[in-house]
Amino acid sequence: MTWLKQLFRRQKLFSDLDEEIQQHLAEKTEALIAEGVSREDAERAAKREFGNVTSIQERSREAWIWPLAESLWSDTKLAIRQLRKNFGFALTAIGTLALGIGATAAIFSLVNTVLLRPLPFPEQDRLMWLAQQDHSLPGAVSESLSYPDYFDWRAQSHTFSGIASYNGDGVTLESEGGSERLDAQTVSANLFQVLGVAPMLGRDFRWEDEKPGNRTVMLSYSLWQSTFGAAKDIVGKTIRMDEHAYTVAGVMPKGFQFPLENPAPALWLSLARDADGKEPKTGQRGFDVLEVVGRLKPGVTAEQAKADLSLIAGNLARQYPDNNKHFTSALVEQELQHLTGDTRPALRVLFGAVTLVLLIVCANVAGLLLARGARRSGEFALRAALGASRAAIIRQLLVEALTISLCGGAAGVALAYGLVHASLRLVPLEIPRMETASIDGSVLLFDVLLSLITGLLFGMLPAWRMSQLTPAQSLRGGSRGVAGGRGQSGIHNGLVVAQTVIGLVLLVSAGLLMRSFVHILNVDPGFDPKRVLTVRIGVSFDKLNHDQRFQFYQRLLARVSSLPGVQSASSGWPLPMSNSNVTISFGIEGRPLAKGDEPNESLSVAMPGYFETMRIPLVSGRTFDERDGTKGAPTIIINRAFANKYFPGENPVGKHIQARLGDEVFEHPVREIIGVVGDIKQKQLTSDAEPQYYLPYAQAVVTNPPLVIRSSGDPAVVQGAIRAAVHEMDPSVPVYHVSTLQDNISKSAAQPRFQAFLLTCFAAVALTLAAMGLYGLLSYMVVQRSLEIGVRMALGAQRTDVLGWIVRRGLSLALIGVTLGLAISAVVTRVLAGMLYSIRPTDPVTFAVTTGLLLLVSVAASSVPAYRAARMDPIKALREQ
Amino acid sequence: MSAPKNTEQRDLFRGALEMMVLRTVLREPMHGYALVQHIKQRSNELLQVEEGSLYPALQRLLKEGLLKAEWEISASNRRVRTYRITPAGKKHLEREIVSFERMLEGIALVLAPAES
Repeated sequence: MTWLKQLFRRQKLFSDLDEEIQQHLAEKTEALIAEGVSREDAERAAKREFGNVTSIQERSREAWIWPLAESLWSDTKLAIRQLRKNFGFALTAIGTLALGIGATAAIFSLVNTVLLRPLPFPEQDRLMWLAQQDHSLPGAVSESLSYPDYFDWRAQSHTFSGIASYNGDGVTLESEGGSERLDAQTVSANLFQVLGVAPMLGRDFRWEDEKPGNRTVMLSYSLWQSTFGAAKDIVGKTIRMDEHAYTVAGVMPKGFQFPLENPAPALWLSLARDADGKEPKTGQRGFDVLEVVGRLKPGVTAEQAKADLSLIAGNLARQYPDNNKHFTSALVEQELQHLTGDTRPALRVLFGAVTLVLLIVCANVAGLLLARGARRSGEFALRAALGASRAAIIRQLLVEALTISLCGGAAGVALAYGLVHASLRLVPLEIPRMETASIDGSVLLFDVLLSLITGLLFGMLPAWRMSQLTPAQSLRGGSRGVAGGRGQSGIHNGLVVAQTVIGLVLLVSAGLLMRSFVHILNVDPGFDPKRVLTVRIGVSFDKLNHDQRFQFYQRLLARVSSLPGVQSASSGWPLPMSNSNVTISFGIEGRPLAKGDEPNESLSVAMPGYFETMRIPLVSGRTFDERDGTKGAPTIIINRAFANKYFPGENPVGKHIQARLGDEVFEHPVREIIGVVGDIKQKQLTSDAEPQYYLPYAQAVVTNPPLVIRSSGDPAVVQGAIRAAVHEMDPSVPVYHVSTLQDNISKSAAQPRFQAFLLTCFAAVALTLAAMGLYGLLSYMVVQRSLEIGVRMALGAQRTDVLGWIVRRGLSLALIGVTLGLAISAVVTRVLAGMLYSIRPTDPVTFAVTTGLLLLVSVAASSVPAYRAARMDPIKALREQ
Repeated sequence: MSAPKNTEQRDLFRGALEMMVLRTVLREPMHGYALVQHIKQRSNELLQVEEGSLYPALQRLLKEGLLKAEWEISASNRRVRTYRITPAGKKHLEREIVSFERMLEGIALVLAPAES
């Protein structure tokens, strides 16, 4: 029998049953009348002896139905009717929930995208990020591999089915239209195979592509679309980059990206590029620049792989002590873990915060339901008297709660969608994979689960309270008792205190992050970033020789300096906060050390005028000028941290250092220290100043240092003129990554800004909700106790007494909450320690200010109902009872 | 709210009411009101059955196919729903009576004064 037929049959069964019961009552009544009882008495007696008709009907029907499913449906219909009737209440509750659920779902979506979603490669859990570990420093600092190290790992390891290398760089693509600067990765031939992704067009890289002379390129889908017009015959053709011909091997499928960072590489170049020349990079064991990814053989654990690679690293350290002495072990880390490790604690804190917001939301809605339930106690008492079982009442209340929470969840999805899209604009792009965040199936599922859980959470308490009522009591007391049941107000007070506690924890956390962020913004970077434009240029390494490249820079800077609006111009590398950094070992004259034991510090190169343009102060000696040219005596400048570390209590100027970096003219000359400059924040605003040394570019022609231009007005104005100046000198030199130092600094502060912003939003929501909760409780109390207030006033209490009474009531609840909240905050804020800069997690100022704010808001929230109570007309209040 | 509790108290044991109903309609098909009166009288008013509590039991028996019901006109010219026992009902009743008697025997043995 189909369920439809069954449903019709059931209708008939139920109407039969009802008729049967009516007939029974009629027959009984007649029998009693026949015995001489009056009709009225007979009817009453018949009903009494029969029992509760509704209850019996219900129990009779239960024999036929799937009791739970059907009563749920009828409860839902009832719940929707109830909510429509109480539209204001429904709107408040659903709105509050939407806020909580929406925010939680949005954060979950980010957490899911960044932390939980697997990498888009087959069997991604076998992909490992590999590095060697430098044991010369306390702890083991991970260090990139050099090509010879990488080749040895690749050949000797037996726990990996493949180990691939990659190394980011920029290339200039030449075409008829001009030149284009592209982000590229130089990769080993097996990279795509290790990742498990084949090109969609053409062929994969082959081992021959690593040999000198076999420069080959793999295009990304987007570059193939944008620059090569999606031409299928591109495979096998030759394109020119950085004055070299590359054969196009193929095109990777749409959406493929590796490494997963911003900006995404536009193309991948074969190792042949680094194998060319007199002293190829592939032969230098000290050139530690490679990132390495490996795919574990099936069944091999990360520990086994670490043991395997550490053995190889140990052997290499013994074999090549000059370069590898301290690199005695290997690091094996899940690629996903490596990619998201940095953002993990921050996202965890955000998720914790949003969960707290959700808890406040639950407490708030539970308070609303409780107050509403008290007003409805009459209704439920009547229902119970009419035969509704306790279970039925709990069920109905829970269904109401779930209906509200599911509506809230639906509105929350819409909110989450908006929040995710808005936050993508605010989010620092440094967080990998963030840009792909969206509201997908798993977020929707999470949202529904969340709605159900919150519904049960906030519905349970009022439902349990209601089911405890005895009908007779409630009916007698009516809906306006002198004071709502003691237990009732106890629970309600508890909810308000809980909201205050959570609110304070969030406020304190947000306050700490905010103050930390302000500290970061007020950090003195050691240079003046205002109105400084930075420009990268792609000068050819091959067309110009050593001296010519320096002279190109010299002439270009002279030209740019004379442009209107330009105060000064120079060039240096690496720029602060640019994420590029290289440490090079050096020897100090008079302190002989074995080559493998020499210290490493950060190296920079600079053109004359660099320190003046950046406004990095000179501490002693002099800065670079025309004396430090290609023909001059080799010189070096150190910073204050370097001087303090290596020349404590001495004057370093005039001492000699031999840096292990040179170019084709200056190989490894002994350099005289000519000056000491101030420290700058090189990596980020929050990091401590590190020892640094500067070489004159003329005597260390490495890389293409970016131009730094201090303008007298808006730096954007001179941008066009600079571009024109470069192109007048050589139209084939691309100008790219035009930015300002100020921008680089704000980017470096982007993550703390994002965290402080989000947590402040959460705290604001929490504060509002906690205030609403207190306001709701006190308003309800005023209504419930209007009789008591009326009597007090009639007995001579002043309006100010009433006002004080209510405000004191609110304030005492807030004080309990604040006391608990402070104790909990002191413990909880410890998890923030890693995210705070120059502020302790128990910063007394933050604690005091947020506590004051919370108490102030509590007084404000209490004063409205208090004022209302004080304005009450005692006569009217008494008459209404 | 208090109804279910009291019914349980009044039921001697699970299924007692059902057994009595089956036994009664086995002898003679009957409608609800008559069934209640009959059970009351036959038990010497010992079983103070709340009249309505018969109906859930009747519905359960109908559902399990132990009874069937038809609308008829009674002798007093009233439209009544008459219950008849089905073959399955007869079998069920026999089984229930056997197990009931066994239970009574057991109880009697326990209650009997100890024989030394």
